[in-house]
Amino acid sequence: MIYRSVALYAAYFAQFLKARLAYRADFAASLLSNLVGGAAGVLFVFFLMDGKTITNLRGWSREEILLIYGFSTIAMALFSFVSFNLFRFGDRYIVQGNFDRVLLRPLNSLCQVLFETFNIESLGTLAVGLAVVSYAGRRLGIAFTAMDYLWLLLGSLSGALILLAVFIFVASLSFHFEDRLGVSAPVYNLINFSRYPLPIFHPVIQFILQWIIPFAFSAFYPAAYFLKRPELLPYCYAVPAVAVVSLAIAGTAWSFGVRRYCSTGS
Amino acid sequence: MSVIEAANLTKTYRTFQRRSGVWGAVKDLFYREYEPLTAVDAISFAINDGELVGYIGPNGAGKSTSIKMLTGILRPSGGTARVLGYDPYSERKTYTHHIGVVFGQRTQLWWDIAVQESFRLLAKIYRVPEPLFKERLGQLSSILGLERLLATPVRKLSLGERMRCDLAASLLHRPRVLFLDEPTIGLDTLGKDAIRAFLKQVNENFGTTIILTTHDLREIEELCRRIIVIDHGRIIYDGALSALKAMPGIKRSLTVDFSATVSPGELIRLFDGKIPFEQQGERRASCEFDPQAIIPAEVVRTLMNALPVADLTLAEPSIEQVIMKIYRDGAQ
Repeated sequence: MIYRSVALYAAYFAQFLKARLAYRADFAASLLSNLVGGAAGVLFVFFLMDGKTITNLRGWSREEILLIYGFSTIAMALFSFVSFNLFRFGDRYIVQGNFDRVLLRPLNSLCQVLFETFNIESLGTLAVGLAVVSYAGRRLGIAFTAMDYLWLLLGSLSGALILLAVFIFVASLSFHFEDRLGVSAPVYNLINFSRYPLPIFHPVIQFILQWIIPFAFSAFYPAAYFLKRPELLPYCYAVPAVAVVSLAIAGTAWSFGVRRYCSTGS
Repeated sequence: MSVIEAANLTKTYRTFQRRSGVWGAVKDLFYREYEPLTAVDAISFAINDGELVGYIGPNGAGKSTSIKMLTGILRPSGGTARVLGYDPYSERKTYTHHIGVVFGQRTQLWWDIAVQESFRLLAKIYRVPEPLFKERLGQLSSILGLERLLATPVRKLSLGERMRCDLAASLLHRPRVLFLDEPTIGLDTLGKDAIRAFLKQVNENFGTTIILTTHDLREIEELCRRIIVIDHGRIIYDGALSALKAMPGIKRSLTVDFSATVSPGELIRLFDGKIPFEQQGERRASCEFDPQAIIPAEVVRTLMNALPVADLTLAEPSIEQVIMKIYRDGAQ
């Protein structure tokens, strides 16, 4: 069953790739712009904390911040790979009625929406993220044992799934409010907070990022595992569980929305 | 054996009246008065295996809403739908394996990839084994004339071509029931003819049960022996198309050309004022009459005996007129 689904969505991906690569110049340009965009953010942190004017942020060193930033970049890249349709879900699927077509196929509706478009260009961002993590990791003296690699995989995958869950939840609001609610843009901007150490923020923001929109678990806690700050470790270990719970809540909100789906006119 | 059954199937939407202006929009944010709108009102019918049924009604009558409930897109607010033994909504993922759906208004195919790639992907989704897929694709593309189109991306097809591809796509998994919602909308006569002929073939050769909504009544006349007419969410006629034309109150029209001038008074007197003849120039008159009240042959004989008739046309009611009449009667 799972094998069949994987094979099927791999076929979705192959089809998408074919269509996407048909416009070669366009593809190359956006791959490049993703790479540059990803690198620009990192270089900003790198030069801002150049060790002369700003050496640390409330006790967090440049390398530590770069590590968190790198984790965030990886999670964002994995998330952007499949999330594109969530941001235009209300418009493209509900208002324009494409969700009818989704429901007519003998497949899970959410998977179809996620896997009908891929953002292949985000592979450029992924490369940037991996480079930053490996640079910051070496500067911090991380040994990169097999266990560390496993955590890198598990942590960033969980981080991406948390981002995905939040935006599945936001997209599922479109089932109830057809009049395009502008929620996803402000929530998306909140992701920026996840690229820095949580303790530097005001307690209210910390509370929101930890317990309401759990972006703190998307990059900061996965990265904190490497930072030798024992008081954070329990939260680090909770990261995969937070991902599972977030996805369960988002999935429930989605199915509840599908039940309320009214389709459009004609 | 019935394959589609609707029992008191009902769909109620919650609608609210938007207030006008910016301030109205702000008020709408906080307080809305909802009103239930019943789009489909307790409809019941059964369709047998292999039937080709026309499902018609004016715009906003509830056609699409009923089709969407029968195909599992919408959850009924009341009553039940059963198709092929499935509950379309709650068993959607299994159920949709066995039906085909074509919406004239929008395509089922992937916009940017070649038609044959779309077909191949659909075959995977519906688990059609490769050899069977090849056989069916060959068959469908030769009947529908798709060979030339297979390598073209969907976005480059004309409407007629796209529709033919959509039809083929809906039949690759050889569904037992085919739902068509205005499949010929916007097509030219040639395109319509091709699709009509194809649907007839599908129905006869594969025994596929077809339910078809359309505004083109010629299509209905050519394809469907049975029609279901819906208006204001209720079924106002369900039966044979031929029986419809024999319904009381459906008029026959008569046009007569004379070889000499005939006065209108003469004509009225001839039938004791029972037929309201209208003068259409010096030598032509026309009228409409109820064939159940006055026998058409009698009218013709009386005319021929009494007046210098040169030519005469007695026309059956057009299907449009018949349908218009049921809409009107149903509305009352």
